[in-house]
Amino acid sequence: MDNFIKNCIILLVVCTALMCVLSYVGYISGAEMGGTDAAVEETAAETRGLEAEGIIPSVEHFGDMGEYVGFTLAGIVGGFIFGYFWIDIKGDNNA
Amino acid sequence: MHISDGILSLQWNAIWYVIALIFIAFGIREIKQRTSEDPSYMPLLALMGSAIFVIAVWHIPVPVTGSCSHPIGTPMSAIIIGPFATVILSTIALILHIFLAHGGITSLGANTFSMGIVGTFVGLGTFLLFRKVGASIWLSAGFAGFIGSVMTYITTAFELAISLNPDSFFQQWIIYSLGFIPTQLPLAIAEFIFTAAIVKYIVDAKPEIIKRLGGVVNG
Repeated sequence: MDNFIKNCIILLVVCTALMCVLSYVGYISGAEMGGTDAAVEETAAETRGLEAEGIIPSVEHFGDMGEYVGFTLAGIVGGFIFGYFWIDIKGDNNA
Repeated sequence: MHISDGILSLQWNAIWYVIALIFIAFGIREIKQRTSEDPSYMPLLALMGSAIFVIAVWHIPVPVTGSCSHPIGTPMSAIIIGPFATVILSTIALILHIFLAHGGITSLGANTFSMGIVGTFVGLGTFLLFRKVGASIWLSAGFAGFIGSVMTYITTAFELAISLNPDSFFQQWIIYSLGFIPTQLPLAIAEFIFTAAIVKYIVDAKPEIIKRLGGVVNG
């Protein structure tokens, strides 16, 4: 295992742990932890009596589970693409 | 930076689309040119594209405000692969975000403008400015991430205010900006840290990547 992979794994563990801790702190303090984008957008839209629409079907149509599955798949696919091309770059460097 | 469909007026959606398309055209030209010179440029773009896609849809909880938001990733990308290619990558990322219930197809131009254009060019401008006054690479990259992130959300507030509240535009712009800032400031600090760390790491470990991708670190 080279230094890059070690650093990536450490970063992954730190980020995940940090997000879990932050989410838990928010949860025990009773906060909703909703998205700021949506909150500000709703506030703005209310001034004109508008409402957000979803023209293109999204994971929200599948309920809470859809979001979990959608974000997990997105993370996995993004991670695999990143990892695959990083290997390409490392290969070029070693050539 | 993820404004939904049905919020902005048709007129403003059209204006943001036109502005975004101009930058996208430059981006396509840059990518075509660089791909013809170096065929390995495309997979390297894919790598950075996947990074922007994940970073910009990542919900980061901020317990101080009881909410969550996203970093943007475009300042880091602009430093590493150049600004116009970053606009293309952020547009692609924003299209994919729509399927994750973030943003919208009619507001794609507005979202591209805030995250892909303002985040990219303000971040890159900050980086170049800091480098010009002699700041180290990590500090310059960090501030690029910080300021790019904050400016993206101030631009989103601008887009909302100018479309929805033209009569009290300035007042509403401040209100919407203040709605974003408490959550976005801690995330901008996080963006400072990861932009500084990643750019510094690549410059130290693989400086040839920056050279191959047309980034602006050297100099």
